[in-house]
Amino acid sequence: MQKKIVLEIQHVDIVRSKDLVVEDASFSIEQGDYVGVVGPNGGGKTTLLLAILGFLPIKKGSIQLFSQNINTFSSWERIAYVSQGATYFDSNFPLTVQELVSLGRIQRTNIGRPLKKIDWEAVDESLQLMDIQDLASKRIGTLSGGQKQRAFIAKALVRNPEILILDEPVAGIDATSLENFYKQLSDLNQQKNLTILIVSHDLSAVFCRMTKLLCVNKKVYLSDITKESDPNVILKKVYGEHFHFVFHKHECKGDFHHD
Amino acid sequence: MIDSLLFDIPKLLGYQFFQYALLGGMIAALATSWVGLFLVLRREAMIGDGIAHTAFGGIALGLLLGIHPLITALLVSILAVFGISYMRKKGLAKSDAAIAVMLSLGFSSGLIIISIAGGFNVEIFSYLFGSILTIDQTDLIIVSVLGVASLCFFGIFYKELLAITFDEESAKVTGIPVGLFSFGFNLLVASTIALSIKVIGVILVVALMVLPGLAALQLKRSFKGTMLATIVFSIMSVIIGIFLSAIYNVATSGVIVFTAAGIFLLAVVYRRFV
Repeated sequence: MQKKIVLEIQHVDIVRSKDLVVEDASFSIEQGDYVGVVGPNGGGKTTLLLAILGFLPIKKGSIQLFSQNINTFSSWERIAYVSQGATYFDSNFPLTVQELVSLGRIQRTNIGRPLKKIDWEAVDESLQLMDIQDLASKRIGTLSGGQKQRAFIAKALVRNPEILILDEPVAGIDATSLENFYKQLSDLNQQKNLTILIVSHDLSAVFCRMTKLLCVNKKVYLSDITKESDPNVILKKVYGEHFHFVFHKHECKGDFHHD
Repeated sequence: MIDSLLFDIPKLLGYQFFQYALLGGMIAALATSWVGLFLVLRREAMIGDGIAHTAFGGIALGLLLGIHPLITALLVSILAVFGISYMRKKGLAKSDAAIAVMLSLGFSSGLIIISIAGGFNVEIFSYLFGSILTIDQTDLIIVSVLGVASLCFFGIFYKELLAITFDEESAKVTGIPVGLFSFGFNLLVASTIALSIKVIGVILVVALMVLPGLAALQLKRSFKGTMLATIVFSIMSVIIGIFLSAIYNVATSGVIVFTAAGIFLLAVVYRRFV
């Protein structure tokens, strides 16, 4: 059965400060895809995501979200986004984890109205899903890097989105928390059929857990990640001929997504 | 001494001018507190100061034309908000430079109007430094209308303002019209300043907007707890300030600011030692 296309990009050029940052990008993402977005720094990963979110205009081509042109798309509650700098906030900001997650329930349809009981129930569910219910009344400025990460993902998930976009969400997180974080995302992808696009420099995690690879370095290439995929063949397209990535599937600790 | 002071309090409460002062002061404190906390969190405290100084031109214009100065102050403050937004949007100046331009324009136009009119020094003095004990019924009506409008805006759009203040980019994704809200918020800043002018004056209004919020932030509470503490500290500053100034016969606006600063210092001590 053919899966539903949730994001389709055709011949997109994106210009920032007169520089062509993304050139002639064409690809489509299906529902339930778990996509690792990789590429060198300054290659256009964040720019591409910002254009998908409607923050940046495109110079040429078209972006369709749920079969609707981005210019007329209005169901933004179907998409959740955690930005690159989300966890770099003022640590004195007076906000508890519960209050932070509740902000994710704001939609166009409830602007100017107080949150309802159902919203607070969704907040509790999201806290439980990310296993941070014990932190509900803690101020976000007092959390560790891993806890902050989970709090922000809980905020993103509280809206029950269909697409979750994460821009380098793992900076400053220790290895154990990182492993748990990727595992939680894999679970969400499989259990909720959530489409995930995540910018990551952790190539092992990408090849162990994700189903597709979006390589961005001005040009954009989308590849399936299968048991037979050779990471070096794919990655040389964006990192250059001299790039060599040593990857063994046994590094995936039995969690290889495709087994 | 203490006995005579305690005796004076019920007597003071019996005077209509004192009742007006307390009521007007509390409304202004309530309105400035929430606006002030958001200004502090948005790191835009100087917008409050800039708009307040710009309002000086409006006050002078009102006195010259015989229109209630608070109304002209409000209109000029709103124009200043438009001016700052326009300059920022068109890339003519960054926020701080745009504020500096409007501040100096507003203040200098006030000076020109005063020199053209050749006077009204006493009246202008009361708006520069506040004159809460001379609040009359018309002032009270204007202050109440602006105060209720400000509180309604906050009550209705509290969660959206919080979302934008915390993370503007993320708020955009949720579908909140961020630009519109930011503009509406700045208009509220303008009207809150206009309603506070009589209470504390254009020079010191920013202190009443910023100090209670800063004090509340020292307590390290949730957002709701911080907001509640800000409101309580703001009202306390105004009430204690009015009483002390009436009893000791010193400038009310100065005592209000000193009370707010005292509360802030106590909160800092609490943060360090509790």
